[in-house]
Amino acid sequence: MIDVRNVALAFGECVFLREISFALHPGELLAIVGPNGVGKTTLLRAMAGLHPPAQGEIVVEGRNLRELSPRARAQEIAFLSADGPMLDGVTVREVVSSGRLPYRPWWRWSSNPEDDRAVGEALERTELAGHAERPFHALSSGERQRVWIALALAQRARTLLLDEPTSHLDVRHAFETLRMLRAFAAEGCAAAVVLHDLNLAGAFADRIALLGAGRLLRCAEPARALDEELLRAAYGVRIDVQRQTDGRVVAFANPNA
Amino acid sequence: MVSGVRSPSRRAATLCALALMFVLALAIGAGVGAVPYAPEAIARAALHPFGGSGTDQVLWMLRFPRVLIAALVGAALSLAGALLQGMLRNPLVDPYLTGASAGAACAVAVALVLGLALPVLPLVAFVAAITTATFVAALARTGSGISAERLILAGVSLSALFAGIVTLVLVLAPPSATSLGILAWLGGSLAGRGWAELSWAALYALVGIGAALALAPALNALRLGDERARALGVDVDRAHWGIVGSAALLTAAAVSVSGMVGFVGLIVPHIARRMVGSDARWMLPACALAGAILVVAADALSRALVPPIELPLGVLLSLLGVPAFLYLAFHRRAA
Repeated sequence: MIDVRNVALAFGECVFLREISFALHPGELLAIVGPNGVGKTTLLRAMAGLHPPAQGEIVVEGRNLRELSPRARAQEIAFLSADGPMLDGVTVREVVSSGRLPYRPWWRWSSNPEDDRAVGEALERTELAGHAERPFHALSSGERQRVWIALALAQRARTLLLDEPTSHLDVRHAFETLRMLRAFAAEGCAAAVVLHDLNLAGAFADRIALLGAGRLLRCAEPARALDEELLRAAYGVRIDVQRQTDGRVVAFANPNA
Repeated sequence: MVSGVRSPSRRAATLCALALMFVLALAIGAGVGAVPYAPEAIARAALHPFGGSGTDQVLWMLRFPRVLIAALVGAALSLAGALLQGMLRNPLVDPYLTGASAGAACAVAVALVLGLALPVLPLVAFVAAITTATFVAALARTGSGISAERLILAGVSLSALFAGIVTLVLVLAPPSATSLGILAWLGGSLAGRGWAELSWAALYALVGIGAALALAPALNALRLGDERARALGVDVDRAHWGIVGSAALLTAAAVSVSGMVGFVGLIVPHIARRMVGSDARWMLPACALAGAILVVAADALSRALVPPIELPLGVLLSLLGVPAFLYLAFHRRAA
């Protein structure tokens, strides 16, 4: 779905990630992990076409991302930044309806049945159907986070890129969100999420892209990506990794080491 | 100020009510003045353009263009305020942020010192307003877009510079028709405006209003933040240029015929949001109507309070409108 080919990312002259190559495959949930400031968010933004790479190319469905118009790109890729704004005077449904903007020419102001279907489905999947007419500002931060995810789902893009989608969620809602993303991916779509919690990444992601020291240290299934040596190289602290009987890999930061 | 969430039917009803109030305000505005006219006389005159009777003549030559200019000024300033507040996601922004009014005030002051004829002033003001706004936008330019912070900095700085020049002219100019003319312009007034000023200001304002309404979906997306709007396929740079351009056009059209009318562009968007919510597709039309009603009513009041003297429109709006707005805003918060 998205092919990242030998990409370097920079702010001005300062290159902070180089030689990044990996592919996001259909049906897959990919977690991007790494220490603060390594460039996880910028990599995600680059995959969304919002940060042009200093080097290399990003290919979406066989076409260079740069060649796509903003509207065509938004129909292909939904991107959600980490923190959404507080909005006054709008209902949950109205916020989620914004996800239909890429399909609306500027002269069409109202929604069509296709828009209504997509918005209804997104509200259902995020368990927000009962809150559709509530004012957005009256929601809890966890509910608001689910509204943003619903907006991305309403966009009906085949690729979802989410920056820390579980940041304001309690454990149950975090699990449900990642399960929902897995279900989304299972329909032949793909999702890449930036996560801080290595155990969430290990439990739900098909593969983990571990960034550290200005490079992609490994992009592989959790058992191979969550490697003690690599994690120490990335985070600069000792992280013990244990394999559970059910095959899951669990990581514990060891403050005494 | 928190804006309410409204159902579509309630929003439509609110817009209809505003449209009715607008027609009513126009009728009251046309009836009020040194010589008051009854509603029947106004209705009759409205059906007989430039009819034979003296009443028809007075209404068509003086009152009708004046109330229409008041409506245009109110709608234009309110829309410009709503556009800029939406783009900058800052409820404290007003349309004069682009420097348009300060540039126009400065040009009018210089024109009066140079002894230019009064009928030329709206044109001078318009050209200066557009030039200043273009310069401010050019200063705020970054890459292919406009930076919100730079726009605010450039607008505020240039406005301060032009305000300084106007004060200097006022201090240096002997008390005369020149300084009185400048003061009248700064106070905002629609006295003596007619069809000539209305026709060309309306031309620019209508282009601005059309562009503003076309920008409604983009404005809605910008509420989510520039990054999220971009991710939704909105060409954010183009939307920013469109918003600043139409706000500048609307402000220039307004200040060129009315002078400095403050308060409207800042406050009316807040009132409109409270009435119909913050969805730009409803908020912008509500804003235009509410702004028009407010200025038509204020202009009527400025003529009716101490006849035959006309109070400065901008001053009246500030004196009456600001306390009313503060009461509404803080009373609601206390409640």
